[in-house]
Amino acid sequence: MKKSALLILALAFGILGHAQDFDKNLTVARSSYASGDLENARFAIEQMLGDIDVIIGKEILKSLPVKMGTLTYNEKQDNVTGGGGAGLFIHRDYGTYPKSANLEVINNSPLITSINAILSIPMMGAMMSNENQKVVKIQGYKSLLNKSVNTETGKTSYELQVPVNNTLVTLKLDDTNESEITSLAGTIPLSKIVQLGQ
Amino acid sequence: MKIHYTVVLSAALSLGALSATAQLGKLKNIGESKANDAIDNLFGGKKKNAGTSGTGSGAGTTGSGGSNNSGASSGSNNPGNTTGGGLISTPPDVKQNLSDAEVSYKKNSYSEARYALQQAMLGVELEIGNKILKSLPESISGLKKVESDDKVTSTGSGWAGLLIERKYNDDKEKQLTVTIANNAAWMSSVNLYFSSGYAQTTGGQQNWKQTKVKGNRAIIEYNEGSGYKLSVPLGQSSLLVYEGINFATEPDLMKAAEAVDIDGVKKMLGEQ
Repeated sequence: MKKSALLILALAFGILGHAQDFDKNLTVARSSYASGDLENARFAIEQMLGDIDVIIGKEILKSLPVKMGTLTYNEKQDNVTGGGGAGLFIHRDYGTYPKSANLEVINNSPLITSINAILSIPMMGAMMSNENQKVVKIQGYKSLLNKSVNTETGKTSYELQVPVNNTLVTLKLDDTNESEITSLAGTIPLSKIVQLGQ
Repeated sequence: MKIHYTVVLSAALSLGALSATAQLGKLKNIGESKANDAIDNLFGGKKKNAGTSGTGSGAGTTGSGGSNNSGASSGSNNPGNTTGGGLISTPPDVKQNLSDAEVSYKKNSYSEARYALQQAMLGVELEIGNKILKSLPESISGLKKVESDDKVTSTGSGWAGLLIERKYNDDKEKQLTVTIANNAAWMSSVNLYFSSGYAQTTGGQQNWKQTKVKGNRAIIEYNEGSGYKLSVPLGQSSLLVYEGINFATEPDLMKAAEAVDIDGVKKMLGEQ
């Protein structure tokens, strides 16, 4: 409980800091544009885009579950990176090796198109498919499930990719089975993530 | 008597059945004919008015063939578009989008704010691009600008790049394309030439080397198929590329390259 409160507080302060930068950059963008200094206006808008991406990232992070089944999230590993044209990357992980989970959200990234191609074009999916890959539905969203077996330990890991519009949510789970990963994926607030990152 | 009735009834039923079969057959023929027409239309081709080949389904095919020959050249019954002015290419209103971004941001509607900022960015970048195009010479080395090919491309994200392109030609075979890229991904490939140190071959044909244009370090390449290519990195994140087709010599291209106000372009892109 304390942890959650601290996290919310930290995120709130983070957003406040960005709000100040946003206002400052907005003033610079407006005045530079009005005076014909287009390059400076562009730089200020770039800064605002970066700030807003980080805010979106933090909002998405806030919406992610703090527990994945019995696994608790590792607060220190929470991360929001990128922003702008290259895409926004959000990371949260749970538990410790050998039983751990990894949740990544990529927003506005060109990486998403290749997954969408597999899901939206049946022929493409058929060409790419193999025995360790299948399409499943999570909360109504078509998703790609990949299975891999560690040859040394013999343990099975799964990776589930859910692409929706301009967002890709990936859940990786070690030492698990298909039913566990699909059931845990059901706890991710996909609609909320999509709405925040649209 | 009963037997008579039975015989009459069965005869009537048989006739009915025959008639129904005939009707079905007709329907089937019509169906097949329509299906053939549909397939013909789908593939855009027509069965020819075949005096030389088959006679079987000739009637249906010839009919639709007639109607199709009067249609669009694609052979489809769908009309081809012959009018329309295309899309209106109005750059986004920067001031309005900045205001929209502010309102959305204050309402914590961050994705809407991001969209408005991207539009504002698009507007600013298109203005920068057009300003740079205006600054380029009307003609270079006797080649006139091809205004209709002027191009400014922006993604509106700021990071993914702004591309400005101008072509010059002599209406024959000589052409110079000037491309200015800002924040573009291919910057790194040119910088690789510089960072890998000075390398030059003495034996065989040298197809690239380092040079300078108006004091700016540059790379010049030559390819028999595509001609000369001169790449000039500008500051931290911009690149000026000249592509010369049918330029007689390297000095010819270098002279053409000097016609561009490189310092002015750098300033407009905010490069040092």
